Amino acid sequence: MQKDIPADSISLLSKNVRIEGEIQGPENLHVEGYLKGAVELSGDIFIGNTGIVEADVEAKNIIIQGEVTGNVKAHRQLEIHPTGKLIGDCTAASIDIKEGAVFEGRSNMIRSPAPAAGPRPGPAGSRPSQNQKQPPE
Amino acid sequence: MPLFGKKKNEKITERPKTAPPQNETSYFGKNLMIKGRISGNGNVIILGALDGEFNLRGRVKVAQPAKIKGEVKADVISVNGSVQGSLAARERIHLDRTARIEGQITTPKLSISEGAAFDGEVSMGERSSKPSEPIKGHSAPDAINTSELAKK
Repeated sequence: MQKDIPADSISLLSKNVRIEGEIQGPENLHVEGYLKGAVELSGDIFIGNTGIVEADVEAKNIIIQGEVTGNVKAHRQLEIHPTGKLIGDCTAASIDIKEGAVFEGRSNMIRSPAPAAGPRPGPAGSRPSQNQKQPPE
Repeated sequence: MPLFGKKKNEKITERPKTAPPQNETSYFGKNLMIKGRISGNGNVIILGALDGEFNLRGRVKVAQPAKIKGEVKADVISVNGSVQGSLAARERIHLDRTARIEGQITTPKLSISEGAAFDGEVSMGERSSKPSEPIKGHSAPDAINTSELAKK
């Protein structure tokens, strides 16, 4: 019974099983069944061809091959495959929507905080004056 | 059309990703917390936490680190983890040596391994397939139901 479970734990909601409620935790989840409610994972969620999700979803990566109705938030990437359908708003750091995919909703990008490229604290102009002070008699 | 060839290539590269593992057993890992109701047909192994209800046609395995609060109904139930609430099986229930049960068990066949902890009561009535579905219109079961509620 356990031979198909990969070492890196991926939870599986199989085809004829339904969950109505809230799911959360540091896990990866593969959905081939029906899921209604709310999902908050710090791992990835993969909604397979037969998967139907009616929930707000938050995860690291979200991969949609089935149907999702609800708002999704991917901290890293949202991927909608040609068979995938997303009805709802998405928020993601990166999006990848394939030709044939259905997406109805708004898209917001998570902008990573700008890499610290701000001006350095010591302006170049102040240095010569310090240098001048150093060689006094 | 040049586009046609391009499309084909794209599809081929995506195939390997799309093939889902064809196993029928749902698996809920130990870090997964579920609040709500799990139902349907199929087998389930749970290692995580469930606050709510299982109502399945199939087998449920409550594996070692799992913690369940609520009701579990299935054809076959085997428990290694802990359950607070009720277990009702259509066929049989097995409590393994690491099982911790607090609550009610309803099943036609029961086995308990040495080491299992079980606080509660068992009923093995001949027609125990619908233990937790109170039927409205019956007057007699009311007394039983209220006493059960009082315990909770």
